[in-house]
Amino acid sequence: MDIGQVFTFSALGSQFLVGLSRAMILFIVSAGMSFVLGVLRVPNIAHGSLYMIGAFSAFSLANLFGGGSGGFWLALIAAPFVVAIVALVAERSLFCHLYEREHLMLLLFTFALMLILGDLVKMFWGADYRSIMAPDALQGFVSILGSPFPRYNLFLLIVGPLVGIGLWFFSNKTKIGKIARAAAVDREMVGAIGINVSWVFAFAFVLGCFLAGLGGALVSPMVSVSIGMDHDIIMEAFLIVTIGGLGNMWGALVGSLIFGLTQSYGVLFWPQFAIVFPYIAVVIVLTWRPRGMLKSVW
Amino acid sequence: MKKVLWVFIVLLGFFTLFVIYPLSSDAKPIKVGIIDCYSGPAAVFGKDALNGFKLALEDINKKGVLGKKIEFTTRDTKFKVDIALNMAKELVMREDVDILVGTINSGAALAVSDAVAKKEKVPFMVWISKSERITGEKGHRYVFSTGENTAMAGKAGGVALSKKPYVKYWIGGDDYSYGHDIANAAWRNLKALKPDVKMIGKSWWKPGEPDLAPYITSILGAKPDAVIFCTGGKSMTNVMKAIKATGMAEKVPVWVHTGTDHAVLKPLGAEGPEGVMGTMDYHFYYPETAANMAFVEAFQDAYGGPPGFPAFHGYITAHFIAEAYKKAGSVDTEKFINALEGLKIESPAGKLEMRACDHQVTLPMYLGVTKMSAKYGCVISTDIITLTGDEVLPTCGEIRKARGK
Repeated sequence: MDIGQVFTFSALGSQFLVGLSRAMILFIVSAGMSFVLGVLRVPNIAHGSLYMIGAFSAFSLANLFGGGSGGFWLALIAAPFVVAIVALVAERSLFCHLYEREHLMLLLFTFALMLILGDLVKMFWGADYRSIMAPDALQGFVSILGSPFPRYNLFLLIVGPLVGIGLWFFSNKTKIGKIARAAAVDREMVGAIGINVSWVFAFAFVLGCFLAGLGGALVSPMVSVSIGMDHDIIMEAFLIVTIGGLGNMWGALVGSLIFGLTQSYGVLFWPQFAIVFPYIAVVIVLTWRPRGMLKSVW
Repeated sequence: MKKVLWVFIVLLGFFTLFVIYPLSSDAKPIKVGIIDCYSGPAAVFGKDALNGFKLALEDINKKGVLGKKIEFTTRDTKFKVDIALNMAKELVMREDVDILVGTINSGAALAVSDAVAKKEKVPFMVWISKSERITGEKGHRYVFSTGENTAMAGKAGGVALSKKPYVKYWIGGDDYSYGHDIANAAWRNLKALKPDVKMIGKSWWKPGEPDLAPYITSILGAKPDAVIFCTGGKSMTNVMKAIKATGMAEKVPVWVHTGTDHAVLKPLGAEGPEGVMGTMDYHFYYPETAANMAFVEAFQDAYGGPPGFPAFHGYITAHFIAEAYKKAGSVDTEKFINALEGLKIESPAGKLEMRACDHQVTLPMYLGVTKMSAKYGCVISTDIITLTGDEVLPTCGEIRKARGK
């Protein structure tokens, strides 16, 4: 292979951008997972299922709202709320009784929930592959540095930081955000000063799952919406949360960037073995900083 | 006295059983045990194949075969090799099936072929697994394939691409056995037919990889003359979407085996990319022969949608089984196998033969280019060229070599 041809500025630049856009989806999903892990101490394996429900809901809602561009935008907004409702029901009926259990139990419980949700999705939507069309304005590609760059990925580059800013604003500037952060550090103390911890937890859980749903809705125009999406994402999200620092939302951002960029550059430098690059990065990070890049709340 | 009477009654009971049993076994139906994936992502294919099989059986059972009906029972493999093995054994040992049929998973098909079919001497008809090893190097007397395989797909691609002027190729695909098998077969055949072709690079991604944009941008950066994509399952949708989103097909010719599969293109709707070369073993809209139209219409009436390629394979599998029993004139397994070898049947895709040398059906391949169709609301295969079974199958000599004979 001609090395000079591969390492051009244009190739490096376009790989950087596509890697970044992939990282944005990963960030949105893993930030939600990290948030739940941090505040509730629940390693939620069913997070991937909620991401899948987000994608399937986006598909159904887009069709319900008449398809086309309008349908997509409405679905993008409404689908995370569908997931939030599912999450609220799950939290109030199941999770809220289980917070005091040990982690292994929670792990098993959420794993069971993942299997159940996976089967429910199949019963409800069937096993066929589905596809949503991106709105007209986001179809096709633009030329950046001489390489074609999908417009939809460009859109993700805008949405990702917006979600990040929103999360920062929520956790630092709003009262409930501050309470949630406090509960993450010392839940007894928060309860002791007269705050209804149960509802704080419910809110945190629903918010985390909302992000999973948003991630699912955002990814839906890029992939085939199908059963098995939950397994694909959950592994990556778990690794990202681990290398970023358990329960640390900014850790999720750092982890996602590491994951997305090592993958896209791996594809460029050594395409036959591109799959392993993000995992090598995980191994390096965990050897060097066993507790993750940023401060873990655990 | 009472005791003697009881003994007598019991003996009489046994005696009657022995007399009746052979009589009743005459009317005993031919039992087909189907192992396939009916849960998880691959369930779509398993279900479609089963529908095709059921449709054919309805017709066959109206007249019966050797005065019997053909019955079937299914087991879900959950796409897992070990479950498939257990289910196959259970069907053979407990359900006493005459024939095994399955599955979408090549790994499972190879395992069942070796550990159950060969060992227990039960014929195993593989209908939608695509590994060329099933009827190639791992083939034996008790395994048959009514589906296409990677060798045929690769050869079809190789033959098609060798007629084009491209020299520099890039190969990308799913990093699992199906992807690599197609890539190897296509490249081997292309290189043999056109020795001056060059491979400038390869990309492998994990099956179902959601974001293929990084792969495609890096491939376009390397400026190949043409690209071969070797993907399957849901990666098909992802790769077609990525081709559309990056405008790849307008810049570089792309060949994707099963890229013209309606099951992939239909959900994409207007999002399906035009100008992608694809090969496929069955289209419900081509060839427009009476046999194909009749099959499609019957299938549509029964299941509310057109048949996909698995339905076609399920359909011909049932007919091969029925015709072989008729030809054998007996339910004896060995006679059934002898009858099946070299058997020719009429099918929606024309006359098909079960080759005696490797137990592989000689299926034609349809090479086409995707183009928007107003009638179907999605891109479909157009300008179709039919490559006959003999053109795309490895020769019997090659099979013997692969089997080390």
